Amino acid sequence: MHDRLDHHGMNEDASLAAALRALPDERPPPDAWPQLAARTRRRRTARRILWTGLPAALAACAALFIAWPHLALDRHMPAPVRIAQSPAPAPATPSRPSVPATGTSNLVALQVSSTQWQAWVQNLDRNGAPLDGRALASAVTLQDRIGLIDLQLSAARNPATVADLWQQRITLLQQLGLLHLQPYLVAEQARPGRTIPM
Amino acid sequence: MHVDTSTSHDAAVRMQGPGPLARHRQTLIVDTPSTFRQHVEPDLIERFKRGDLAAFESVYRRFERAAWTLALRLTGRRDVAQEALQDSMLKAFERARQFRGEAPFGAWLRKLVVNEALMQLRHDRLHIIEVFDEDLRGDDDAPPPWLLADAAALDRALNRLPDAARVVLWLYHVEGFTHIEIAEQFGRSTSFSKSQLARATRRLRELLIPQVEDTPCTTGSTTTA
Repeated sequence: MHDRLDHHGMNEDASLAAALRALPDERPPPDAWPQLAARTRRRRTARRILWTGLPAALAACAALFIAWPHLALDRHMPAPVRIAQSPAPAPATPSRPSVPATGTSNLVALQVSSTQWQAWVQNLDRNGAPLDGRALASAVTLQDRIGLIDLQLSAARNPATVADLWQQRITLLQQLGLLHLQPYLVAEQARPGRTIPM
Repeated sequence: MHVDTSTSHDAAVRMQGPGPLARHRQTLIVDTPSTFRQHVEPDLIERFKRGDLAAFESVYRRFERAAWTLALRLTGRRDVAQEALQDSMLKAFERARQFRGEAPFGAWLRKLVVNEALMQLRHDRLHIIEVFDEDLRGDDDAPPPWLLADAAALDRALNRLPDAARVVLWLYHVEGFTHIEIAEQFGRSTSFSKSQLARATRRLRELLIPQVEDTPCTTGSTTTA
């Protein structure tokens, strides 16, 4: 095929190459650049959030880890269904049990922490990259579990149970936040390794 | 305009025909350089590598037609080409520090566009490799119909080729890729590239014959995709 000449004196390859090269250049859609610029800005914002938000999240995790022994909380996380079960022994008094002073301050600390985590997650949700299908399904599951805990909190009376629920809420919010950060972590890890051979 | 002759040289070496034909081929390539072969000022590249959005737009504007045309020719679909264009440009911007100037900037960018277009095809259509019907044979002795076909007809015929065939045809004839380079892109052997090229050429001939023949009695005898 290569050496066969056509009636223009070119071989088939050369004539086909010439014909293909003679095809006119196309012009991209006019909105291609605005879309690309917007996408670039979004990715930059998300990356900025990652680099400012991740250290803050890690610091919060570290602080929580250090403060954990001082919170005097039951470390065993009860399953949500336990709340639905009736409390085993009858309380000494029919009224709501009083919360000890230390318990109250710990509860307030947990509530504040939960609020901060929630704000961080909401910020990621608003400004971060959209989640893919699987991550989105996980996020919905986590949100459902948070909703269930909120429901249980509204009904819980026992201070230890309340504290456990707040702690579970924080853990779920942390998981939700990390879920939002995951695409950036993967992208950042992939960056230096992927060189383009030339 | 700076003309990079490295791929032209490869293409000319690849063509082992008679001397005048090789010279003609080389002339064709140098005279019709891909618009990726543009000189980009070092200052612009530096600003691009620093993440300057204005420099990004300058680079984009300079290469948008070349990148879009390449993406469109390889993918054959505007929506897929748009994804390939955006992803490749974004990767170029975000990985600009990986560009060390060992090859021309346009060649580096072109490689990204090719990679992204192939990735889009793999993602979008799982069966990128299509088997040709061996019974479909054109008249190999007839003059190449692309010499008579207009650009629109050739464009249509190109888009009717199976993905792999179209990509191989374009990379080989227009972008000057060698069979080894094409095989690397597909993760296949050079035999794959050569057979796809031969079959794509034959198929293109078949697709174009009805376009250039005037006699109505022959239009029904050709097979289309």
